[in-house]
Parts: sequence; C-alpha cells; structure tokens
Amino acid sequence: MIVPFGHVLMLAGMLFLLGVFCTLTRRNLVMIILGVEVMLNAAAIAFVGAALHWQSLEGQAFVLFIMAIAATEVSVGLALIVYAYRRSGSFDPSSCNLLR
Amino acid sequence: MPGVEIKGALSMQIEIAGFPYLSAILITCVTGLLVILLLPEERKGEIKWVSAGFSGTTLLLCVYLFFAYDKTRGGLQFVEKVPWVPSLGIQYFNAVDGFSLPNLLLTGIVFFTGVLTMWQLQERVKEFFALYFLMVLGVFGLFVSMDLFFIFVWYDVSLFPMYLLIAVWGTTRKEYAAMKLTLYLFAGSALLLPGMIYLYVHSGLNTFDITALMQPGTFTTAQQKFAFPLFYVGFGILAGVWPFHTWSPVGHAAAPHSVSMVHAGVLMKIGAFGVLRVAIFLCPEGWQYWSGVMAFLAAFGIIYGALAGLRQTDLKYVIGYSSVSHMGIVGLGLSTVSVEGLNGAVFQMFAHGIMTALLFSAVGHIYDRTHTKEIGELGGLSRVMPVASFYFILAALAGMGIPGLACFWGELVVFIAAFKVYPVRTVVALLALVVSALFMLRVVQRTFYGPPNERYAQLSDVSFSSGIPRMILAGVLLLFGLYPALLFDVIETASIPFMNGLPR
Amino acid sequence: MIPFQAEDAIHMTVILATLTPLVAFLLIMLGTRARKNLSAGLSLGAIAISFGCSLLLLARLWNVREPLEYSTRWVALNRMEIPFGFLLDPVSLLMLSIVTLICLLVQVYSLGYMAGDPGFSRYYAFMSLFAWAMTSLVLSSSLLQLFIFWELVGLSSYLLIGFWYEKFSATQAGKKAFVMTRAGDVSFLLGLILVLVHVGNPAILEMNSLDSAGLMPSGILTFAALLIFGGIVGKSAQFPLMTWLPDAMEGPTPVSALLHSATMVAAGVYLFARLFPFFALSPTAMGIFLFIGTVSMILASTMAMVARDIKQVWAYSTISQLGFMIMGLAAGGYFAGVFHLTTHAGFKALLFLCSGVFIHTWHTNDIFELGKGGARRLKIPVIALVVAAGALAGLPPFSGFFSKEAILAALALSSHPVWLAAGLLGVFLTAYYAFRVLCILLFPPSAGEEPSGPVGGLAPAPKGSRQEGSSRTFIWPLIILAFLTLLLGFFQGPLQHFLLGEGKALLVDHGEQAGWLPFTALFLSLAGVGLAWAEFGRCGAARLSFVERIPFLRELFSRRWYLDHFYHFFVDRIVDRGFSKLFAQNDNRVIDGSIEAVSRGTLEAGRFLAFLQSGMIQYRLLVSFAVMVLLSLYFFYRDSGGF
Repeated sequence: MIVPFGHVLMLAGMLFLLGVFCTLTRRNLVMIILGVEVMLNAAAIAFVGAALHWQSLEGQAFVLFIMAIAATEVSVGLALIVYAYRRSGSFDPSSCNLLR
Repeated sequence: MPGVEIKGALSMQIEIAGFPYLSAILITCVTGLLVILLLPEERKGEIKWVSAGFSGTTLLLCVYLFFAYDKTRGGLQFVEKVPWVPSLGIQYFNAVDGFSLPNLLLTGIVFFTGVLTMWQLQERVKEFFALYFLMVLGVFGLFVSMDLFFIFVWYDVSLFPMYLLIAVWGTTRKEYAAMKLTLYLFAGSALLLPGMIYLYVHSGLNTFDITALMQPGTFTTAQQKFAFPLFYVGFGILAGVWPFHTWSPVGHAAAPHSVSMVHAGVLMKIGAFGVLRVAIFLCPEGWQYWSGVMAFLAAFGIIYGALAGLRQTDLKYVIGYSSVSHMGIVGLGLSTVSVEGLNGAVFQMFAHGIMTALLFSAVGHIYDRTHTKEIGELGGLSRVMPVASFYFILAALAGMGIPGLACFWGELVVFIAAFKVYPVRTVVALLALVVSALFMLRVVQRTFYGPPNERYAQLSDVSFSSGIPRMILAGVLLLFGLYPALLFDVIETASIPFMNGLPR
Repeated sequence: MIPFQAEDAIHMTVILATLTPLVAFLLIMLGTRARKNLSAGLSLGAIAISFGCSLLLLARLWNVREPLEYSTRWVALNRMEIPFGFLLDPVSLLMLSIVTLICLLVQVYSLGYMAGDPGFSRYYAFMSLFAWAMTSLVLSSSLLQLFIFWELVGLSSYLLIGFWYEKFSATQAGKKAFVMTRAGDVSFLLGLILVLVHVGNPAILEMNSLDSAGLMPSGILTFAALLIFGGIVGKSAQFPLMTWLPDAMEGPTPVSALLHSATMVAAGVYLFARLFPFFALSPTAMGIFLFIGTVSMILASTMAMVARDIKQVWAYSTISQLGFMIMGLAAGGYFAGVFHLTTHAGFKALLFLCSGVFIHTWHTNDIFELGKGGARRLKIPVIALVVAAGALAGLPPFSGFFSKEAILAALALSSHPVWLAAGLLGVFLTAYYAFRVLCILLFPPSAGEEPSGPVGGLAPAPKGSRQEGSSRTFIWPLIILAFLTLLLGFFQGPLQHFLLGEGKALLVDHGEQAGWLPFTALFLSLAGVGLAWAEFGRCGAARLSFVERIPFLRELFSRRWYLDHFYHFFVDRIVDRGFSKLFAQNDNRVIDGSIEAVSRGTLEAGRFLAFLQSGMIQYRLLVSFAVMVLLSLYFFYRDSGGF
C-alpha cells in the first residue's frame, strides 16, 4: 500500500467535513442532497482504506451497500424535492417546516 | 419468598354472592347513558324522563342496599369479584362496607334530585344528561370498588365529564373555571398514580386488591409515611383541603346547578372517601404519623373557608366557601385517628352532601327565575317565593349546625373526637361556627329578607312538581337530623373493626 | 329503639306536654298555613294541653322529693351515648309551669295583637316551635340534650325577632341576636365537650352529684364551669354579650314578652340553677359569675335610665334583673335566684304586654309620645302596668319585693360587702327607671286638661272600636298576670319548701341576720320612686333626669357604654375587613396567583421549546452533527483516560 492509511483517513475526513459544510449551509435542497452524497462517499473512502489496511473484505462489501443506499437515497430524495418544489415553488429548505 | 404463598392464597376466582346489586347500579347508569345517546336530540322531554327513570332506579337500589346491609355482621357485603387482568392482579372487585354505604346512598339521592333540578334545561339536553350519567357512573364506581386500579380509573371517569359540563353549560367565567378545576383535579390524579404504583410494586403481592394490601405488615412504616401524603394530597385536592381549595368556589359557581350539586355534594366526598379508603386503609401508620398536619390543615381550612366566604357577593361562591369550611370538618374528623372521628367524618360527608345539594338546588331554582346570583341584586325574595326561600333557609340553618338537621351530628361528633386529641386546633375550628352563622345569616338576610324587589314581583313560587327534589333533600336532612342513629349504626360497623385492627 | 315509649302515666304526661307543640308546629307548617284561624287554634290547643299537663305534673309531684328521670338511648356511639330523656325535679317542674303558662297567655294575647298580619300562621308556627324547644329544654335530662334545645330556642328567637322580615332593622336584630348568642353557645359547647371528655355522659344529675369533683381536676372544673357560663352570658344577655337584647325588641311585642323577657332569656339563669351544685364546686368560678352578674345589672340599669323606647327600657331592665338573679345564685342563694326568676317572669311579661297595648293603639314606642297620646286613659293596662312596675321596683305587696329581698339576703352573706352595696344600688336604679317610665306615661306635661284627641295624628281615628274588637284577648292575660304578680310573693314559703325540701345542704340559711336589710332596700326603692316622681311626675317638673343633665353620662348610657361600637368595630374592621379580606385576597393573589404562575410558567416553557422546533432540516442536522462530534470527543478522551 503506497498511500499511508493516515492520509486516506485524512482525505475521507476532509471530504466528510466538506459534505457537512455543504449540507448545513447551502440554502438549496438539491445541494443538501449533494452534501449528503459527499459524506457518504467520504465514508466509503474510509471503508476502502480500512479494508486495505486490515486486509479484510467486509470494508469493500460495506462500500457496495453504501453505493446502493446512496443511489436509492438520491432517487427518493430527488423525488421528495420535486414534490416539495411543486408544493412550495422553491428549493429553500426553510419552506418545508410543516412539521414544526 | 413469602409473596409466592400469598399469591396462591389470592387465587383469582369469580366470587359473587347473590344478585349483583352493585354491578346493577353501574349497569343502570351505563344503560341510561346508552339510551340517552340513542334517543334523538329533539325529544328533550323523553330524554329527561329517561334520565329520571334510570337515576330513580339507582336511587331505589341504593336505598335497598342501605337497608339490606346486615349491620350485625358488618364487614364487606354484596361482594362481586371477577378477575380482569390476572397477570397484573387487577380485579373487578365491588363491595360495600359501613364507610361506603352512606356515600352510596348520598350519591343516589343527589343524582336523582340533580336530574329533577335540571328539568328546565333546554339547551343541548341530550349531551348534558349523557355526560351527567357518565360522571355519576364514575362516582358510583369509585364508592363500590375495592380494587385500587379501578378506584383510579373511576376517579378519572368521574372527573373528565366535568370539564365539558362546566365549559358548555356553565355560567360565570366558565372556561376559566372549567380549565382551573380540571387541571387542579388531574394534578391530584397525577399524584395518585405514582403513589398507587409505588404501593403496588412494594407490596410484592401482585395485586391491586385493597383488602389484601391493607393487611398489617404489607408495607413498612417508612413506605407508609412516604405514600400517605401522595394519596392525601391527591385525593385531598378533590376534598377541598386547604390550601388546595381554590378550585372549589370557582368551579361551583361556574357549574350548572345539578353539576354543582353533584360536585359539591358528591365529588368532594370522593376526595374525602379516597383519603379514607386508600390513604388511611393502606397506610395506617402513615396516617398516624401525618395526622397532626392533617388536623392543622383541616382546622385552618374550617375557619379560613368561613372567613373568606364572608366577603363573597355571589351566592354560589358563598356556598363554595362554606363547602370548604364543612369539608374541613370531615378532614378534622379523619385526622383524629379514633372511632368517633371516623364516625363523625363519614356522617358529615353524608350530611354535608345533602345540605349543599339542597343549597345549590335552591339557588338553581332562584337563578332560573331571576337570572342572577349576585346577592346585591336579589333581596326580598321571601315575599315573592316563600317556599323556595324556605328550602334555602333550611339548608343554611343546617349549614350553621342547628340541631334537628343532619349536619349538627357530624359536627358535634367530630368536634368531640377532635377535642380529645387536638384541643387548640378544635377551639380554632369551633370559632368558625360563629363566623359561619354570621355569613349564612347575612346571605339569608340580603337575599330573602327586606322589602320585596319590584323586579321580581311577578315571579311565581315553586310549583309542587318542581319542588320535589328539594322536598326530598329537606326530608332526608330532617330524617337524619332527628334520627342520626340510622346512619351512625351503619358507619360503626366499619369504623370499630377498622380501628381495632390498627397496629398501635 | 323507639325514642318515645311511655313507661308510666307520668312519662306519658311529660311526652304529651313537650310534644304537642311540635305536632302543632309541623301541622301548621305543612298544612294549615293558609287557614289562619285553624293555625292559631292548633297552636293554642297544643300549648293549652301542655300547660294542663304541666299543672298535672306539678300536682302529682308536689311532694315527691327524689328527682324522676326517664331516659332512652337516642344515639349510641362507640364510647359515647346520647340519651334522650326527661328529668323531673322541682326546679324543672316550676320552670315548665312558668313557660307553658306564659306561652299560653301570650298566645291568647297575640290573637288580638297579630290579627290581620299576613304572617299570622307563620307566627303561630314559630310560637309552637319555641314552645316545644323551650319545654324540652327545661325537662332535658342531659346537658347535651339541653344544648340541642338551647340551640333550637335560639333559632326560634332568631325567626321571631326577624318575623317582620321586610324591615331591615328587624332582620339585622335577628342576625345580631343569633350571632351573639352563638358566640356564647360555642363557649357552652366547649365546656360541654370538656365535661364529656372527663365525666363521660353529661347527665345533669351525675354532673351535679359530687362525683364530678373527683372525676375532674379542679382547674379543669373551673374552666368548664366558666365555659358553660359563657353560654349563659350569651343567652341571658349578660355582660359582655348584652347588646343583642335591646335590639331584639324589633320583634312583635308578644314575642318580646315571651322570649326576650320571661322565658327564653331566663333559660340562661335556669341553666345556672340547673347546674347549681356543679358550679358550686368551683368557688373561683362562682366569684366570676357574681362579678359578671353585678356588672350586667349596673350597666343595664344605667342604660335603662335614658332610653326613650318603652320596650327598650324593659329590655334593659330584663338584662339587669337577670344579672340580679345571677348575682343571687352566684352568692349561693339558690332559692332566691329561682324565686326571682319565677316572679320576674310574671311581672316582666306583664310589663311587655301592657306596653304592647299602648304600642298597638298608638303605633309608637316612644314613651313621651305615648304619654302625650293619652296612655293613661286605658284603665286596665295602666293599672296592670302600675302593678308590674311596682313589682319591678320591689315595692311591698308585689311579688318582686319578696324575691328581691331574698336575693339581697343572699348577697349580704357573700364574701364582700361590695356585692351587697351593688345590689342595693341596683334596687335604687331599678325603682328609678321603672317609675320614670310610669311617670312619663301617666303625667304628660299637659296633664291638666284631658287630651281631646290623638296628638299629631299618631293614634288612628277609630281608636275606640279597634280597642273594643280585641279587648278581651288583650285584657284577660293582663288581669291574670297582674293577679299572679300580686299574689305570688305570698307563696314564698311553699315554693321554698317545694324547691329545697327540708334542710338541703345547698341552702344558704338567711334567717335572722341583717334585720335592717329589708328596710334599707325598701327605703332605697322608695327613694328611686320619689326621685322619678320629682323629675317627671309632679306638676311643672323639668322632665329631665339627673343623668341627662350630664352630657357625658347621657352619651355613655344611651350609647350602651360603647359596647355596640366595639362590636361594630370588631366585626367590621377586624373580621370583615381584616381576616376575611386577608383570606379572600390570599385566595385570589397568593394561592391562585401561584397556581396561575405555575400554569403561565408551563405555557412559557412550552413556547420556548416550540420555538426551538423551527422545522429547519439544517438546524437538526447541525444539532445532530454537533452531538456526534461531542460524543466522539467524549469517547475518545474517555478511552484514552483523559476524563
């Protein structure tokens, strides 16, 4: 393994923070979904690194699951966003506070 | 583990001795409720007749029970025991003893006369009587139940219709009063539930059966000392124990007449009865420990209610405060830890129930005619409606403790019993007799005496039929005033064995 | 279990005597309110039966020395039995006869007096109620039973004072009477409970036997005696609870004659006589009773000296005479007190009934108006009035003279001469105020010429006819009572024999000593009469009494020594605006305030929490992220041993 495990984790952590930042600050539902995707991918990178580090296949398997979940999440999420857009006419998350 | 053997002994079986009169009372209420619900809204007259019929049936059943109760045998009679949730030890367990029997009779009388008092009602008749039946169902259930869980359930069943009854059909500041009353009483209920669970868990018997839980040694002294105040305050709120009484004048004043009757006449007794049946039965040592505090609160409540009532200008407020004062006498009797005290307290529960019901019924009649209960606006009614005034004055006299009317005996016996234990507190309470005479007479003077008020000159007096409820109540007041032994004999069948069984 | 099951003929008679008025009361209330004559007939019949029975009993038991007691269980409680019974002994029989006789006479008198009143039936119902309660009170065998009827008597007094309930002053007076006597009754009840706790069942005979001294420590006994005396103070309108009685004159005059002079207020003194041996166990208490009796007597006499209302004068005089009886009893003169009670009942009822005739004719209570109106032309009432006033003043042939002498003799034996001096002063004042009224009535300023007609339109025009119509019912009771007043004094010997028997230990032997006493007393009363005549009676008199010349005294006396001001202040300021307001405010502000503060706090807290729930997804994410970070930091440091 050329790249040290620590660097992989650092990359994953930075990606995750970027995702968090995107999710928390952007005033657009689509960008929030994107942020979530980024966080998922960060987790996937960490898993791949860990699988390599410990020579175990479970990490790889988890990544497959994560990709599947990410795909479904995007599709469901986008569907919800479209619905929300139809209802409120905007992508602003503060307009979706019916549950308060 | 000793609990195992006892669990065996408490095997849940159906145990019904003879005809289930107690269930019959409850079923009559339920049936009445259903019939009222099934009748169409517009047939007001029929709804009233049905209500009168069913409530009259319960009254007859109560009267029958009162006289059929075997006084020589005493103890629990008319027992009905059916397992309900065996895994938790909940039983449908009904029985009466000398403590609950007077209250049962009282409920029957007030229920029936309350229906008759509301005969003039025109607005949402169906809903009114349905809720009224529901409330009384809870009251009956509580008085006959010997299962802690059911007592709690019945307690809440009797309370929640009250909110609607006051908020919909009430008069003075009704929403406020309904909310205040409901919150107050459910606060009490919130104290009862933890207390109940606490006892249930610590008994280790896996039962809610009061007869099993009250066996000496079930709870340690420390547990009793802890649980007693929970029940005392929880039920005491409903009994108008000072300083948790402020719901009572407001609630009484706002409620429609028959609800005031049931409320002051019976629901406050539920509180006192709950203190007796649950707090005192289950935690006798806690009772002895806290009795001094109880006596203090009661004595102070007696004088406080009388003095605070002196300044009220609303007829119903006056009665509400007098109720606080009179229920203090019940509390004082309960706090003496003696046979006489219990006798007097239970007698006073009964007598006060009848007396307040009569007062509210009379006020209801007057209010229906004059559309006011401000004392300042009334006056001179004695000339216009002598008979209606007579009933009020009679009840006011009873409230002052005139001999020959039932309240006198309750007060006398309680004061005698209390004087032996708490002389100073009793003297303070006795001063209230003067004050209550002053304020009752003041009300009578300002409302009924004086030159006739020309505004009410054309009002008619009580007709014979509309006077029936008050006639019944006044008759009962006189009967037990002249022949108190009728009631005392019944109460003693419970109080003497109970006090003898107490660990000293 | 039936409370009324006659044991023998005497018991039967007793039950009949007490119960018939109750039956009459119930019948009138339930059925015959609309039919006036029937109501009156029922009531009169009942009281006549009662009176007959009491005479029968008196005759049967005249020579029976041992008290008879009939008693059945009424209420039985665990350790407390409340019996219902009758105790027949000389004092109760004597009192029973007085009560029923005066009830009967007053009811006959009322036929005329109350005629035409819209509440005629109600009046007779209440009268019957009173007759029942009073006869039962007199015959009660236990103190508790006595207390019960004591309260009922108070109730009927309240109802009868406020009989004309449309008059504000009448209802006010009724209320005042009830509340003030109630204050005394509470004290009575406390004393009763004290006795009950120590002795057990407070049967009167048991209390009076000397055992009760053994059962109660002497301190407690004195205390109980004083508390029970509190009831007497309330009922007999003694100092300091005396001011209700003059106000009670708002009731119809026959009521005043019956309840508020002859019988009901005398119940207090009767109770004293009833429990005399018990009270006598505590000399301290007796000393205090003597003091209170004396104070009441002097105060009330001074008030009577300036009153202008004829009924009020007699009311003050009643208080003062009751005080006099209590003095006599407290000084140990058992017979003297009871004898004065007997004679007083006769002549005081007579005084009121005579005044009633005047009031009924001229519709005013003011003595000066009555005098001007020509009161002296009503011959029989005037003669009766003179007889009664003579008895009140203690002039020789009349009954009051004898009983007063007996009391003074008892006082002469008491510990300190000051009591005797006070008693003699009382005799003088009594004679003075009694004859002051008499002189004002009989010698109006224009006594020279016959008043030609009603003065100032006071008297109704058809005076003659009105008087004719009701004269018989008015006159006969007066005549009977006047004869009684004349003759009763000469029965002192037999009565003494009847009450005391031969050589009872209770009797203070007032035989030979103080031979000067009767003469002094007589001289003083004559002096009082003379002073009254000099000021009001003789031609060209100033018609101004010596007290009225001193403004301070006049104010003091006519304002009842400021007792009413004190009570007014007490009720108004301390009870009403003090405690009551405090408690009502406490309810509103403190209790409800805190309850509302709690509910408002709950609402505010809920609102605050609701504000947090903005519904923004990103806030939630932020919070969960922050929590995750903090948790991970926590676990990280915990595992590395940082915490």
